[in-house]
Amino acid sequence: MAYTLDFGTPVNTALLIYILYSVQKIVFPSTSTPKTIPNEFKHGYSWMPKEHPPTVLFKTYTPKTLEPFDGKNGGRILLAINGIVFDVTAGRNFYGPDGMYGNFAGRDASRGMAKQSFDLDMLTAVDQPLDKLQDLRPDEIENMKGWIEHFSNKYIICGKLVESDAA
Amino acid sequence: MTISDYLVTDDLTVLLGFIGVSVFLLQNLYKPQPLVHPILLGRQSDAGRVRHSGESAVYRNYGTGLMGRFPVRPDKDVNVVTDFVKPEFDAPRTLWSTKITNAQLKARVSAFGSGIAKLVPEDSTVLILLNDCIEFVITDLALSEQSIASITLSSPKLLARVLEMHPPNAIITDNAFLPHVLQARHGVDDFHHTLIVLGLLPNPRDIVLHSWNDVESHGKVPQAPRNAPQPGSAYTVSFFETPSGGMRCVQFSHENFTSGVTAIKALFPATINLSTLDTIVSSHSLSTPYGRAIAYAALFEGASFATLPSTGVFHDGDAPALDVADILSAIKFPIPSPTVLFLKPEHVQSLASSVMDRAKKSFFLFPLAWRHKFASLTEGFLTKDSLWDRTVFGSAREDVLGKMADTVKAVVISGGLLPFDALVPARLALSIPLINTYTHGSATGPLFATHAFDLQMLPSSSPATEPAHVGAPSVNVEVKLIGVNDNVVEKGADPTGEILVRGSSVGNMLSADGEAGEKNAWVHTEEMACVMTNGAFKVLGST
Repeated sequence: MAYTLDFGTPVNTALLIYILYSVQKIVFPSTSTPKTIPNEFKHGYSWMPKEHPPTVLFKTYTPKTLEPFDGKNGGRILLAINGIVFDVTAGRNFYGPDGMYGNFAGRDASRGMAKQSFDLDMLTAVDQPLDKLQDLRPDEIENMKGWIEHFSNKYIICGKLVESDAA
Repeated sequence: MTISDYLVTDDLTVLLGFIGVSVFLLQNLYKPQPLVHPILLGRQSDAGRVRHSGESAVYRNYGTGLMGRFPVRPDKDVNVVTDFVKPEFDAPRTLWSTKITNAQLKARVSAFGSGIAKLVPEDSTVLILLNDCIEFVITDLALSEQSIASITLSSPKLLARVLEMHPPNAIITDNAFLPHVLQARHGVDDFHHTLIVLGLLPNPRDIVLHSWNDVESHGKVPQAPRNAPQPGSAYTVSFFETPSGGMRCVQFSHENFTSGVTAIKALFPATINLSTLDTIVSSHSLSTPYGRAIAYAALFEGASFATLPSTGVFHDGDAPALDVADILSAIKFPIPSPTVLFLKPEHVQSLASSVMDRAKKSFFLFPLAWRHKFASLTEGFLTKDSLWDRTVFGSAREDVLGKMADTVKAVVISGGLLPFDALVPARLALSIPLINTYTHGSATGPLFATHAFDLQMLPSSSPATEPAHVGAPSVNVEVKLIGVNDNVVEKGADPTGEILVRGSSVGNMLSADGEAGEKNAWVHTEEMACVMTNGAFKVLGST
């Protein structure tokens, strides 16, 4: 082959071929776009994340349907204050089964929040109608509203709590 | 021959080795840097964590965030619309054909305001039926200063209905459109309103007509406005047509317009932001809230401003075609060479195809130039000064646009849906930031806008039918989609539904008989959209 003789050795030929190939890539760049859009920004400039950011669907809960969400078996932890259901899974340390306030998980915690108490007698049983909170003092109602503010900023509002027969 | 005989090296090997290494480095390290890091384009809007059934989550611009407050004014001193004309700025700039300083403009505004305050009673409404000109701006600012409500229409077809349902106390129009106004008046009985005409008054006159210039000169003795305008008070009402031919009515306050100007300024990142050195040319009529907000943005920045002839709403005959000739007619005004163009998709498509056709005339270089520019586009980099622009595209742009080709630094596309396959040729042909936005008659600023340096090519499965994406919600609106299929979305598909907006640049919709709705209520835009995983929206058309 002519240029092998001219360049003398296979090493030179290999280098020459490599140089010619690279120069060709530089002068005639590839214009193919990938068939599927990559899911990582490292794999391409035109990329899209694989999934939407997670969103929770706003649901209506009754005391019975709220009860399973007490964090046992590693599930979501929900609690309700004044008819608003909060997703407190992020606060598993507090509201999980081993947490200090674990009594509130899966229940209506309105009275406990108002009276600043975590005792079991603050909770109404699941098959009873919802606690009307009529006998609370105004400052206890204020306290409960303060807790609702705190929870709204810290956790997600993901539902509302209604009577068992109203749902 | 042994192995060592094959691997004999000599001086030529060293040379080739050197060249090989430098070629390797050149190929791998000399990749163009993207103009915006792709990681930012993966999360363009901030999505709410909760959504109601049948709706999507609430989306806001990522920069604003779900907890952030909407930016409402471009500067802390700008509270009402007349504050856009900054008195401390004294260099003259050209508005259409008039070279004027801010002080002179303020003087003319207060003169006209005093003049018209003498003509119309308190708490009156004035209907403005002018094509875009400096008199429109003066009228608008004067009425807002005097707290006299103004009405604008986005289309002359609405005139008859508006005269019937909301008769104004005065009508301001120009002499070319005056016959139409008089004709529309005949259908409506029992009104007494003042007619103010711009331009020469027609002869003979059997009805009382006032000349616009006379009103201004009569107001030379300034009369202080009866009530000082408040930012939150509504001062103008805009009627616009829906795609189905219905009429909708929206009320705007000073705060809506200051928010609109903030949103328009936010379209441009720091390297290409609006300043007094700019000349803005707009294809959106001042009779629409967005068009007015663009004019106010130009006033606020001290930039020169002009509009294209296709913005004329009130005229006889057919509207001019939205193409390159329309864009070039901006040069007829004595403004400096335009730097920022606010165009409609048809303009951009026509411009891109003209430039590409001119560029294709250089047979040998065009394919190579196109390849190189496309390759750098896939890496996210585009510039007007590359080698290929100097050889091929630059001269094509100059042939098509003339002197404008050198000075235009950004193009904002709004007022329609840009087809996806027009986007890449437009980017390559113009090589400047193209900002695709979506506007609606109910908002003063854009509702959605792409990042200025976003060059991603994200084809969907059917690129021929879907339009290009319009990016994330603007800095001071929040958006949600309704009519969304829950099952499909829970499985991870893109939510698709009707767009509802709320925010400081969205006005207050009025019902058919003029009742104001709740403040800050969600506005139905009657357009469908879908949101992609990176937070960018694609508007799909009307419901």
